[in-house]
Amino acid sequence: MTNSPFENLRVIDSTYVFAMPYAGGILGDMGAEVIKIEGPAHLDIVRGGQFSGGFPDNDPGQDYWNRSASFNLLNRNKKSLTLDLSKEECREYLKELISISDVMMENYTPRVMKRWGLDYENIKKIKPDLILISNTGYGHGDGPFSAYPAQATTQEATHGHCYITGYNNDIPSKAGASYVDFLACWSGLFAVASALRHRNKTGNGQWIDIGMYQLGVMGTAEYIMDWQSNENKSGRFGNRHPWRTPQGTYPCEGVDQWVVLSIGEDSQWAQFCHIMDKPELAIDDKYATLLNRRQNHDEIDVIISEWTKTKGKYEIMELLQSVNIPCGPVFDSADCNLNPHYQERGFIERVEYPEFRKIGTRKIMGRPWKGSKLDARVRAPIEPLGSSNSLILQELIGMSDTDFEDFKTKGFISEEPAEKREVPTSSLEEQVQSGRLAYFDPDYKNKLGI
Amino acid sequence: MIAPGALEDIKVLDISQGIAGPFAAKILADFGADVIKVEPLTGDYGRTMAPFHKDDPDIEKSLFFLLLNLNKRGITLNLETSTGQKIFKELVAKCDVVVESFEPGYLDSLGLGYAELEKINPQIVLTSITWFGQTGPYSNYKGEEIVAYAMSGIMSISGTADREPLKHGGFQSQYESGINGALSTAFTLLMRDFTNEGQHVDVSIQEVVNSTLVVNQPFYSWTGAVQGRRRSEGAGFGNVMPCADGYFISQPGGGATWDDIVDFYGDEVLREEKFANAEQRVQNGVEFDQVLTEATKDRKMHEMFKSASEDYRMLFGIVQTPEDLANCPQLEARNFYEEVDHPIIGKIKVPFRLFNMSETPSQYRIPSPTLGQHNVEVYTETLNYSKEDLVKLRELEII
Repeated sequence: MTNSPFENLRVIDSTYVFAMPYAGGILGDMGAEVIKIEGPAHLDIVRGGQFSGGFPDNDPGQDYWNRSASFNLLNRNKKSLTLDLSKEECREYLKELISISDVMMENYTPRVMKRWGLDYENIKKIKPDLILISNTGYGHGDGPFSAYPAQATTQEATHGHCYITGYNNDIPSKAGASYVDFLACWSGLFAVASALRHRNKTGNGQWIDIGMYQLGVMGTAEYIMDWQSNENKSGRFGNRHPWRTPQGTYPCEGVDQWVVLSIGEDSQWAQFCHIMDKPELAIDDKYATLLNRRQNHDEIDVIISEWTKTKGKYEIMELLQSVNIPCGPVFDSADCNLNPHYQERGFIERVEYPEFRKIGTRKIMGRPWKGSKLDARVRAPIEPLGSSNSLILQELIGMSDTDFEDFKTKGFISEEPAEKREVPTSSLEEQVQSGRLAYFDPDYKNKLGI
Repeated sequence: MIAPGALEDIKVLDISQGIAGPFAAKILADFGADVIKVEPLTGDYGRTMAPFHKDDPDIEKSLFFLLLNLNKRGITLNLETSTGQKIFKELVAKCDVVVESFEPGYLDSLGLGYAELEKINPQIVLTSITWFGQTGPYSNYKGEEIVAYAMSGIMSISGTADREPLKHGGFQSQYESGINGALSTAFTLLMRDFTNEGQHVDVSIQEVVNSTLVVNQPFYSWTGAVQGRRRSEGAGFGNVMPCADGYFISQPGGGATWDDIVDFYGDEVLREEKFANAEQRVQNGVEFDQVLTEATKDRKMHEMFKSASEDYRMLFGIVQTPEDLANCPQLEARNFYEEVDHPIIGKIKVPFRLFNMSETPSQYRIPSPTLGQHNVEVYTETLNYSKEDLVKLRELEII
């Protein structure tokens, strides 16, 4: 008898990019056995390229496909199996694996699994209590967009996020990166946990069908309600708040350094005026009350900027937080990696790679929640591509030596990409010049203690 | 027939306010949990959040509150009185989960922290959702949506390089944290089924947003590199572009070749070497933007969306408005909206269904509660108070 629902839980992860791979990584943090399946000719694009987040010390090494930052963060803990699922004979082995697994994750466009005879109705015949999670752009079914190609960047517009995001009275904008992928990751994890509870109680599996579009639209729900009830079409007000005033992003001492602050009550405004050493503004009719401050927000922004420009971002944070005004610096990724609050909470975890990987020790984000009795942690790095081919195909599901060799020869399984590609290796200096990077910190290893 | 809920055996006390906590508790409710929303006598401050029905700022007419509190019953209880605390403990003894979003230490100060609740009910799961989490040097800092975006790092890459960092529109960090609150609670309940033990769950909104930085955050740990904001023009396909009646965004890839993309835009100049790959498109970005703008200035966004997606298999998005979303046939086909009949607001269509589960689907049962709507029901049925008791408790401003 195990005392964790995650021990002995086997998850097949036939997914790519961010959303589901991240969910699989986190299931691994919980203790599940997660097997990532990729076709040698269809590797996860995060292994190298625009979403890779760089290689260790900017060196792609001899096996670039095992080394990218984002790939390693998202896919931690996993076993790696290659299998070319576009081939019928490979899918026969996948079915074997399904018959001894608990959860399967896939993110193909809706047609693919059906074409392979692996839609839920068929999977259920192989393993009646399997939990299948399908993540697509618009969800399965008969909807007019269901077959549309999708990806978070373009969906950010379609699910309404760009309409409400942008500088004050300016054109729509994107913000952050691949927003809806993360909503799908977390929703998928909630759904899997719920489905596992249901399975443990009833013995029944089920199909979880996520369309990312809906999750993104939920983030604009109050705007949709406002339009329905009030025909309000107002969209973008930049860094301002619908009711708190002033709120904004203000420049600080240094290059591209910023601080944000948000003031609601009039008493907070008065305190802030004293901190700025401008007590006269606290009693000036133009600014003393919330409604008047709203009228004069532009003027107030100028006054605040004059003050913030002369100070450091951390200094302002401490000054304002000391009187309970919500305020904080705009952190860049160096700030986040090195921040004492993140460190002390154990949110940033160390991952040690075995010597032969030539990756060293790196730090990655863990999970944004913890339970006092929940053993969630990054347990191991993902192993190199195809490392578990023999373990899974031969030992677990009994593939013969002959077939195993035959699959290798045909390129259905491999420990390398079917086609290795040139990985651009521009120096970090060049990347700063081209504008891809803001800057780089040559002392990062020392600062991170790795 | 009503399908079973995955959480139908779970009773939740939702003492959270605002957006993140109530959204977390609502997700639990949507999947079957019996959620009792416990409000102070003045109500959840979420009742004061716009938009309001017909722009009438009545605490029973906040549409934001409505959409975040569907499927819950509602009671009032003054937790700052000793009798209120005693009653709360009686409820905790009968429940499985408490969702809260107070500043760290507040429940402890009332004698209602996890250590106390655990004594009353060792199986209780206390889910706390706060800006900076329960521990660490910033745990008592004040947060706001914009502060979470700044201190998570995401604003440093949002907006354009020539301007200040930009926050996401709306209240995304709190929606995101609501989902994380629900998921961490579900993990914990799954664990509890095996161990019979409750626990304290600590969700940090700052860490939730930071968790989305899967490219640029580890980039630093791998190489020391720090990314900034995009250029305002000439970012290749990086920015939102105007068309005749709105805006669109397009990306290479999907099922489309570069030739497909050129055919869609219909300008042969795009076939030239200077636009052949991502690097060159950025290098010649200003000209690239001009070509796209010229090619699309007379085209309508919904038509472009259909053609790009269906005829060319392109990755293509259009900036839909709230009106577009309210009337979207895809959302209709996915049963995204529920028609809610609210006792004061009346009938209104509410964004509801996040995703489908074949055996344990999310189900709409009841509208959001009016303030104290279920006092009598909960206090007399779940606890054994008499109606006379309730009158006294009302007079003492406890309920």
